[in-house]
Amino acid sequence: MRESHLKILQYVTAIGLFFIVGTHLIIMLLSSDEPTTWESVSERATSGGWLAFYILLLIFGLYHGIHGLRTIILELPIPKPPAKVIDGTLVTIGIAIFGYAVYIPISAF
Amino acid sequence: MRELTFRVQRYLPGRDKKPYIQELVVPLREGMTVLDGLIYIKENIDNTLSYRSSCRMGICGSCGMFINKFPRLACHTPVEELGTDKIEVKSMPNFPIIRDLVADLEPLFEKHKFLRPYIVSSQMEEAERPSSQLLQSREALESYAQFSYCVKCGLCMSACPTVATDPLFLGPQALGQAYRYCADTRDTGAKERFKEADSRHGVWLCHLAGACSEACPKGVDPALAIQLLRRATVFDILRLSKAKEPAPVAHPPTESKPKIAVPEITVKKP
Repeated sequence: MRESHLKILQYVTAIGLFFIVGTHLIIMLLSSDEPTTWESVSERATSGGWLAFYILLLIFGLYHGIHGLRTIILELPIPKPPAKVIDGTLVTIGIAIFGYAVYIPISAF
Repeated sequence: MRELTFRVQRYLPGRDKKPYIQELVVPLREGMTVLDGLIYIKENIDNTLSYRSSCRMGICGSCGMFINKFPRLACHTPVEELGTDKIEVKSMPNFPIIRDLVADLEPLFEKHKFLRPYIVSSQMEEAERPSSQLLQSREALESYAQFSYCVKCGLCMSACPTVATDPLFLGPQALGQAYRYCADTRDTGAKERFKEADSRHGVWLCHLAGACSEACPKGVDPALAIQLLRRATVFDILRLSKAKEPAPVAHPPTESKPKIAVPEITVKKP
């Protein structure tokens, strides 16, 4: 994959996060009913739409964060392993976090 | 007579372990440039001083140096403009030193060549044996004109903080010139340049510090060229770029003006 593809995805996820995190914050801070109570959380967790929304937030946030971290690591003027090793490690970490983070709500669904 | 103190970097690989500073006193003359000072030192004080220069008028780009902590052309920098009697002259940062003030510009030219800084034409026959000139509108010319003023002096590369941290970064000079040719309507090699510039050490590594544009003695804005190259690359990948209309070949002239006769020899033959 060319660098431009990765950068385009970075911009797409940035725009996506703007709306998804915005929606998330509006629900959490401006909602009239208490959104962090057990009932509210479990109600959202059993909704297919909300589940998809949070998985999308996870995908966008993970890609954006891990790509940003990759950019910083690759630019650090210190001795480091080859870029492929760094890429592989970050992708593995990303997949592991994604799997763990998705397993819990899906198993509760 | 007012005197200037030149603090000149000296370094001879093999003899010196690291560069050191030599202080030399030079009499100030009206309209004196830093290069004039170095020429005075070489001719009157120490003829072992090495520096590179040629045209003395800011055209050739040979005398790029680090003058009072800023990359400048020595011939294009009047000493009065520096506002001090102490002038520190060093070899350009981000380049290996060959000797004293002479920087090794090989990395610059390698990166420059890598991005094909020439017109790539799909019409090989017309490119090799042109039947006539290629027509170009004023707008098409203005889209790249400022970038064509680059004199390959390397000041932008020595000012760039990203080149300082990643020596493999293609840098503002090469990327700026890549855009210059991509924007040219006579060129058809943009796709190849996009691929070559789209590497880990390529167009996306620029942090838009703008130091290159500030340092350029010819008023070129390489930081802008890099942004335009990024946009062109993304548009090319997303297939949003408009098909560039190739520059048409002008009709060959149908009639020619009569040649002006060569004047007869007025000097008497021996």
